[in-house]
Amino acid sequence: MKVDKMPLPPAQTELRATEVGLTSAAEQHRAYVQADLLIIPLIVMLFMGIFSFHFALLVGDWDYWVDWRDRRWWPLVTPLALTVLPGVFGYLLWEKLRLPLGASLTILCLTLAAWISRYLNFHLFADFPMNFVWPSTYIGLGLIIDCLLLLTRSFFWTGLFGGFAFGLLVYPLNWPLLAPFQVPVELHGTMLTVADLMGYEYIRTAIPEYVRIIEESTLRTFGEAVTPLTAVFAGFLNIMNYWFWLWIGYLGSKAIWIRKIV
Amino acid sequence: MRTLKTLLVVWLGLTALLLSHVPAAFAHGERAQMPQLRMRAVHWIDVQVSTAKLGVNDIVKISGKFMPSEYWPHHVNSIEDTAYLNIGVPGPSFVRLDSRVNGVPMIRSTSFRRGELYDFEIVLKARRPGRYHVHTVINVEGTGPIIGPGTWVEVTGDPAAFENTATTLLGQTIDLENYGFGNVKWWSALWFAMGLAWFVYWLTKCPIAIPRFKRASELGPDADQMITPMDRRMGGIFLALTLTLIAGGYVYAQEKWPITTPLQTGKIDVPPLEQPTSPVSVRLIEARYRIPGRSFRLELEVSNKGDSPVNVGEFAAGNLRFINARILNVQPRDEHDLVAPDALRVEGAPVAPGETRRVVLYADDAMWETERMTTMIASPDAVVAGLLFFFDGRGRRYMVEFGGPMIPDFGMVKT
Ligand SMILES: [Cu+2]
Repeated sequence: MKVDKMPLPPAQTELRATEVGLTSAAEQHRAYVQADLLIIPLIVMLFMGIFSFHFALLVGDWDYWVDWRDRRWWPLVTPLALTVLPGVFGYLLWEKLRLPLGASLTILCLTLAAWISRYLNFHLFADFPMNFVWPSTYIGLGLIIDCLLLLTRSFFWTGLFGGFAFGLLVYPLNWPLLAPFQVPVELHGTMLTVADLMGYEYIRTAIPEYVRIIEESTLRTFGEAVTPLTAVFAGFLNIMNYWFWLWIGYLGSKAIWIRKIV
Repeated sequence: MRTLKTLLVVWLGLTALLLSHVPAAFAHGERAQMPQLRMRAVHWIDVQVSTAKLGVNDIVKISGKFMPSEYWPHHVNSIEDTAYLNIGVPGPSFVRLDSRVNGVPMIRSTSFRRGELYDFEIVLKARRPGRYHVHTVINVEGTGPIIGPGTWVEVTGDPAAFENTATTLLGQTIDLENYGFGNVKWWSALWFAMGLAWFVYWLTKCPIAIPRFKRASELGPDADQMITPMDRRMGGIFLALTLTLIAGGYVYAQEKWPITTPLQTGKIDVPPLEQPTSPVSVRLIEARYRIPGRSFRLELEVSNKGDSPVNVGEFAAGNLRFINARILNVQPRDEHDLVAPDALRVEGAPVAPGETRRVVLYADDAMWETERMTTMIASPDAVVAGLLFFFDGRGRRYMVEFGGPMIPDFGMVKT
């Protein structure tokens, strides 16, 4: 039954209109603020939950342990998996609210969730030292995407430059955090990095040395050039990857059930 | 009120999710493994633990021998492909300072040959007080952890007193418990502050959700009008700041740590020990497991080409040890040491020099049941293997592995 469509007597209609006119501005503002207070924390928690689950599934050990962050796989797997939420929610937040927050906010939420999880589960519960299990930082990558989207106002150019930079810069962005762990040490006549040494000393019964997927590929023959080659390769791949996830966001926004909710 | 409940539910769900990502802890996985795999994977011999009680920072050594079984199951990946000598403890309650097989450091992965004998030694330094069941483990790629015997080790003392340092090849002594973390915290906090500042800038436009949604829907293709010049200026500033920080951080790291090497990986070879030729050889005639009596009956043909009569002192299978008390005195080290000191009955021995004869062994003990070895009757490949320890008149010991099909006896047929 549609109440608002029912014809009211003329006097009553007039009265209601005046009342609404008088109070609406202030009241509406208050209602909108309250909506923000509800929606924004909810979205933050949702991003924390979805993103940390997604990232644990696709990147997992590469981000858990400092002795998994190699030059070959970690900078390739990470941007490809990391672009999913920035793409999908970047599209939705820009298209529906004109907010350039999709990439930075999702990654900010992931970072917060990762630090909580590493501290509680890996450090306090499982007893690994924090310097062995710290999460990498990716917030800078999110900022690049969002700022480019704001400045170019174009998904095409954001994808081309931002998507590329997102793949390219994983390694340089993390290098000031990671470099001290790749200083060489010697153990019983074997050269290791500090990260390898920690991986050997801090016992992980379920993660023996051979399960690390690191430094494997024909690119190893390129010697010194592995890092930049991987970075450029990851960058190119990530352009398409970012566009793809934008497109998924677009499909999501067209879904009938979402239109029904909003 | 309903929204508050929704928030609470989401928050609880999120907490549960965050807490579920716990690195796999290790606790008594030995019984969960298929008995066939336990019997036919690795035989652990003479495993010694240097002390059962020690303080934080003290050393405990675990040593002994192992022999990969000739009867390694075909349906799982072989130990001859890729393997890693490991230790089974709950988390890093110890740090591993050294681990060797036949003198070769086991920092890298390796492979072991079936039927060959290997010496091992693992040196651990106690890190956290507690009582731990410490197991030897060999991880086999594609197969999983092959768990060896366990011993209770108690660590006492103050965990804060734990020290673990290393000296880099650049001559710097570092504390592995917190090395590099100050740096990680600083950069992580900086980037977090940057991301948060960007978020807060847009939050200052509050209310944002509904009004912006309405505006954007109204404007449609012209929604870009919602972006103010101030927004764009902010975008430019944040982009420039981000790129400068990435470049600056990279240059800073290159200056501060100019010498780094890639993560090290790869396999290392371990030559097996020379094994003296054994004068004793064994052929399995029949292996029967009688379920009602928890009794394992082995019928063997034993040949002795030595110069002294031999008798069976011990039968070991799947980390269970059945001792013939008339030959050998072995007592369990603790309540979970899987030694049955008087559970092996031998008929038909000793075998005289030059003689070949039928010997029947009975290994009867509740351990078959408590260690869940009885589930071997549920295997699709009912083959068992074990190690026999023969002793001659002069106290010399000969190890012989045997294996073959096993027939369960349900106690329904009179034999
Ligand atoms: Cu145990």
